[in-house]
Amino acid sequence: MSFVFVIVLLQVIASCAGEKDTRPVITYSGSAVGSQGETVRRQIARFQKLHPEIVVRVQPSPDDATQRHQLFVQWLNAHVGDPDVLELDVIWTSEFAAAGWILPLDSYAPASSEFFPAAIEANTWDHRLYAIPWYVGVGLLYWRTDLLDHAPRSLDELVRQAEQAMRGKDGPPYGFVWQGARYEGLITTFVEYLGAFGAEIMNDEGEVVVDTPQAIEALTFMGDEIIRNHVAPPEVLTWHEEETRFAFQNGNAVFMRNWPYAYSLLSDSSRSRVAGKFAVATMPAAPGGKSTSALGGAELAINAHGEHPDIAWKLIEYLTAPEQQLERAAATGDYPTRRALYDDPRLASALAVPLDQVRSAIESAVPRPVTPIYTELSGLLQVQLHRALTGQTSPADALHEAARQMKAVIRDSGLDERGALR
Amino acid sequence: MRRSNDSDARLARLLVAPAVGVIALVAIFPLGWTLWESLHRHDLRLPWLGQPFVGLGNYARLLHDARFWGALGHTAFFTIVSVALELVLGLIFALAMNRTYRGRGVVRVAVLVPWAIPTVVAALLWRFLFDSQAGIANALLVGSGIVDHPVVWFVHTATAWVPVILADVWKTTPFVALLLLAGLQNIDPALYEAAEVDGAGAWRQLTRITIPLLKPAILLVLIFRTLDAFRVFDLIYVLTGGGPGTSTEPIALYAFNTLLQNLRFGYGAAISVVIFAITFGLALLYIKGLGAGGAAGTEP
Amino acid sequence: MSSALRRIGLAVLVVLIAFPLYWAVVASLTPEATLFREPSLWPRTVILDHYRALFTTRHFLVPIRNSIVVAGCTTLFCVTVGSLAAYALARLRFRGKGLILGFILAVSMFPQISIVSPLYLMLRALGLINSYPGLILPYLTFAMPLTVWLLVGYFRQLPPDLEEAALVDGASRWQSFTKVLLPLSVPGVATTAILTFIYSWNEFLFALSFTVGPDRQTVPVAIALFRGQYQVPWGEILAAAVVATVPVAAMVLLFQRRIVQGLTAGAVKG
Repeated sequence: MSFVFVIVLLQVIASCAGEKDTRPVITYSGSAVGSQGETVRRQIARFQKLHPEIVVRVQPSPDDATQRHQLFVQWLNAHVGDPDVLELDVIWTSEFAAAGWILPLDSYAPASSEFFPAAIEANTWDHRLYAIPWYVGVGLLYWRTDLLDHAPRSLDELVRQAEQAMRGKDGPPYGFVWQGARYEGLITTFVEYLGAFGAEIMNDEGEVVVDTPQAIEALTFMGDEIIRNHVAPPEVLTWHEEETRFAFQNGNAVFMRNWPYAYSLLSDSSRSRVAGKFAVATMPAAPGGKSTSALGGAELAINAHGEHPDIAWKLIEYLTAPEQQLERAAATGDYPTRRALYDDPRLASALAVPLDQVRSAIESAVPRPVTPIYTELSGLLQVQLHRALTGQTSPADALHEAARQMKAVIRDSGLDERGALR
Repeated sequence: MRRSNDSDARLARLLVAPAVGVIALVAIFPLGWTLWESLHRHDLRLPWLGQPFVGLGNYARLLHDARFWGALGHTAFFTIVSVALELVLGLIFALAMNRTYRGRGVVRVAVLVPWAIPTVVAALLWRFLFDSQAGIANALLVGSGIVDHPVVWFVHTATAWVPVILADVWKTTPFVALLLLAGLQNIDPALYEAAEVDGAGAWRQLTRITIPLLKPAILLVLIFRTLDAFRVFDLIYVLTGGGPGTSTEPIALYAFNTLLQNLRFGYGAAISVVIFAITFGLALLYIKGLGAGGAAGTEP
Repeated sequence: MSSALRRIGLAVLVVLIAFPLYWAVVASLTPEATLFREPSLWPRTVILDHYRALFTTRHFLVPIRNSIVVAGCTTLFCVTVGSLAAYALARLRFRGKGLILGFILAVSMFPQISIVSPLYLMLRALGLINSYPGLILPYLTFAMPLTVWLLVGYFRQLPPDLEEAALVDGASRWQSFTKVLLPLSVPGVATTAILTFIYSWNEFLFALSFTVGPDRQTVPVAIALFRGQYQVPWGEILAAAVVATVPVAAMVLLFQRRIVQGLTAGAVKG
């Protein structure tokens, strides 16, 4: 008995006198709540087991995009070394890259071709890759299978189907709900209409082309949904993702435009009135355009002032590896960014949504303009779009004014020489 | 009896030093930094432009910035309406709380609790209340027959201000009421007794005795509420986001967008300095207007 | 105005104020899906899930503790240091009073968003990020001006006769302050303490920017972090708001009797 006691005592003394933990510590900051948070923590724990010589800490930051952006700006501007690995919204990469806050990843020879080209394009600034796409979000058209027998094949058909279903017995009050509040979500919705009519915000030369005749047609169509056809309720102009989800979830809408996250929530029969009565499709097009989804999602980048960029890269590699992306898809419904996974039967069983639809949506995904001043341009465009959609000005005037303001900001920023795109 | 002014002055400096010292320590660097930034062009997204000194260039740009002037207008409107409402309501509450009656403790707590709720939560609450489909406001209006169909509050400028102002009044009237209540305590009840004897009714007592004697408290209320209302941010950000369009955007939200969204630090600093100048100017006006016997540095 | 009318008016006002809170309590007891379906004035189904989640997954007692510490220390510090300064500014003769009052007020007039960045740099240099002093110090920029100005107002309003009498009797300035003025100004001090406490309790931007982990985050920040990427957990947020008002309500209840302690009759007259 006393022998055991001495052994234990010796071990205690040894651990007290043991060395301080000198292992390198890296910090990850990003989503840490809900199923996303659980998955990330689980994967980080596994990473630690594989690399016992490294310590990884999780530093939660708010999921609200504006708040996370504000905190990241504050930390990075102060040249703070942690977090080493940052979860970025897809539209922040070029901004942080231009500011010199994240490291270019070319020296690590990332396997860019294994990821979706649109996602890589969104993370490339000045011909260098600055972040790895972690999971991708695309705009999807949710439609009621109990009210319609097929998904609309064109925007006109969508409006007709919506009107018909609304008129029917027990027809829902809303035809089509989308995010129209004055925030970034409005641009993601708008981008899909633009593509459907064959227009875009900026062309490949970096010129603002948001006021072409096709773009004006697109905005007119959007506005008519509210003002003329009454297919979309005026409330959409104050709705973000959740409000539209609740409207659809309560059975009040025929169509909804939303991100993939809504799918599993809508399928939960304990809370959703449309469980089993809906499906997803790609956004329809109009003559002259093609089916377009807005590209969203999150990217992982390395803090330029971090002390251990190589270790940070190891973590990023691990989190974006096929196994981890599959695990994440199964747990959270976040779509992987690796193309090969879409041929993998494991992904088909992990995702509730039919794979071919997801793949075609991603392949028709369009990134928003990749420029450090994107947030400012988006803000200007949001204001004008909103004015047109509330009927305060005509779509043509709104878009011409937006284009004028955007061009002025670009001129002012000295970006023409560096190229406003990429 | 002649007191030594020197020893008084020395004691005074000793007493004031900790407060002033601590504030100066914490605030000097940030204030100086803001002033400094406002004189430079500093855009975090565009480091290749450097940080050139532009003197009053940012301020000159502000003069031509339509969105800036719009935001100032919205802020002025919001400040005037909500401070006026809060002053009136706060006075009513203060008078009511000034009485002795059963349950006054509960009333006082009930009146103060709205203020204790975090602004973001209060804003979410009011957004909910005015939701066009699920909100109680529309349920009551439609149910009582005042309107035919639900009002879509947040889509039109005029109606969007209603929940904003209501939320602010609901949240901060308690602050006003408490300040005025403390002021009421200092009014000698004998004055009211004398007025009763002279045959003055409740209204005359209110206007001839209460309000004039409440001037110092009203001054404090005006200064601090105007200060806060002018810098309103969280409430409007959650309720309307500054929309529809930019028609409810207050100046602090514009500054936030400029600084932390668009990362234009120099320009955003200039906006902040302007906000400071305006609120300080207003405070000076209040003190001049109401200041006789007020809290400004007049002799006791 | 008859007292019955007054009572009715008071009841109406209290109902108007309390209604959103009542609704918040109802909503916090309702399952989320029903919340968005039909609004109702009383809960159809009552669940305690949101409250349970608060104390299990969200560990909500930690932010409450942090808020109490930060708001409490700020209030204590401001009221003590502030009353010293307020006494000097209200009762003593010296040059530069207006300047000092003006400076103290001016400091609080800069919008918080503009001083957040440099404050962050400063606090980081001092190693105070994610600590209690790291929040209390910035809070002084708005709490101290409020305290000083309010207390100067109260001290001014109290007639100086009693203090003069004490001074004539041979007391020092300090004694007349501590033994005469302070006891008389308890209502004012109590009011100031409550106002400062609630102001600090509510503060969001600094708390968000200067804390990093849950061990130091305050209630408004913790609530803001409930949000998922798109989802707003209404039930839990409202439950958190309800729970968070308890310490404040307790403080107010404790202090409210002090607030309306009137001038003791006869102490000044005659």
